[in-house]
Amino acid sequence: MDTIHEAPGAWKLLSIWGKIGLQSFGGGATTTLLIQRNFIDIHHWMTMEDFTQYWNLCVFTPGINLVALTILIGRKLAGTRGIIASLVGLLLPSAFITCLLTAGFQLIQSNHYVQAMLRGIIPATAGVMLLVGLNFSFPSIKQAYQEGLISLGASVLIILACAFAIIVFQLSVIPVLFAAAVIGMLVFTSWRVKHIVEQGTVLEEKEQPVHD
Amino acid sequence: MINPLIYFLLFFKASLFSTGGFSNLPSLHQDLIANSWATEADFAESIALGQISPGPNGLWVVCLGYLTYGWLGGSLALLALVLPALLVLAVAAGYKKIEHQRWVAGFMRGVTLAVVGVMLTVVWAIISQPEVDWKGYIIGAAAFGLALTRKVNIVLILALAGVAGFFLYR
Repeated sequence: MDTIHEAPGAWKLLSIWGKIGLQSFGGGATTTLLIQRNFIDIHHWMTMEDFTQYWNLCVFTPGINLVALTILIGRKLAGTRGIIASLVGLLLPSAFITCLLTAGFQLIQSNHYVQAMLRGIIPATAGVMLLVGLNFSFPSIKQAYQEGLISLGASVLIILACAFAIIVFQLSVIPVLFAAAVIGMLVFTSWRVKHIVEQGTVLEEKEQPVHD
Repeated sequence: MINPLIYFLLFFKASLFSTGGFSNLPSLHQDLIANSWATEADFAESIALGQISPGPNGLWVVCLGYLTYGWLGGSLALLALVLPALLVLAVAAGYKKIEHQRWVAGFMRGVTLAVVGVMLTVVWAIISQPEVDWKGYIIGAAAFGLALTRKVNIVLILALAGVAGFFLYR
């Protein structure tokens, strides 16, 4: 198991989330990548598997997924104070700047050069989003690769089928998520159970920091 | 005249029955236009601004609040965005009860794969906009490559893309 680095205090969280919020130009893809870099790569306070699991819970929560993710990460690292520090850090500075930008919008919008720069920035956010998707898929693709070709093929097929269903048939996200979940349950569970039990795999209890 | 409580409740309702990003748009559009508390132009501007401004895209609602009701509107919109997300604590608690059931691992793997698919659709939605041409594809690919190295700051990558856009499209 990875060594878990000492969890940060609320003030440290406030400053990290504040930086993430203020650097998140270009929307959710940037925010997500910054979260992965800060909490997983730089500080090692969580793993990519933790991140994936949290995100899966967030997609079933109403509202902005990133806000829900912020709540879960804040709680994991510093309890209730962590939740408050993380939310305030992520949202207040960036919402304040959003309002200021809105106030100055008329000046910016009509400017030809600003429009040209935006035409460059928009496709770059697509590149960032693609990387976020790849990072996100990495743990489950790796697991599928170790299980063999059928599992790997099924995983890739589910990803492509979901993208296809949304782009071509304009289905909304929630039914697609549920359909994929049920397919995943059927493909990855039933006939594999015996195999896992024979290997004697022990479910590891995840360590949960205690908060009072 | 805007009633602050009803104004907040409309935003809260839209957020509560949405799943991130712009899915609260139809509900807000219907309610605010019906009350004449917002115009079509307010919506177009706040969606555009939401993409530029720092923070998650969902903060476009804060722009809408600010445009239609000033600082109070922006604050109420922000509050309405945050409160429903607290339900994730209930979702997480529910998950903790079932996580060792046999079928849950496969179920969550399906969700993970679907989320990757959804992320691909976002990539698709961005690059299929009319203002993105072959030069845009190159910028996008370069941004992906730079981000992949993990050595270059994301803000720097976006700034470089802005500079590239300046020279390519001015």
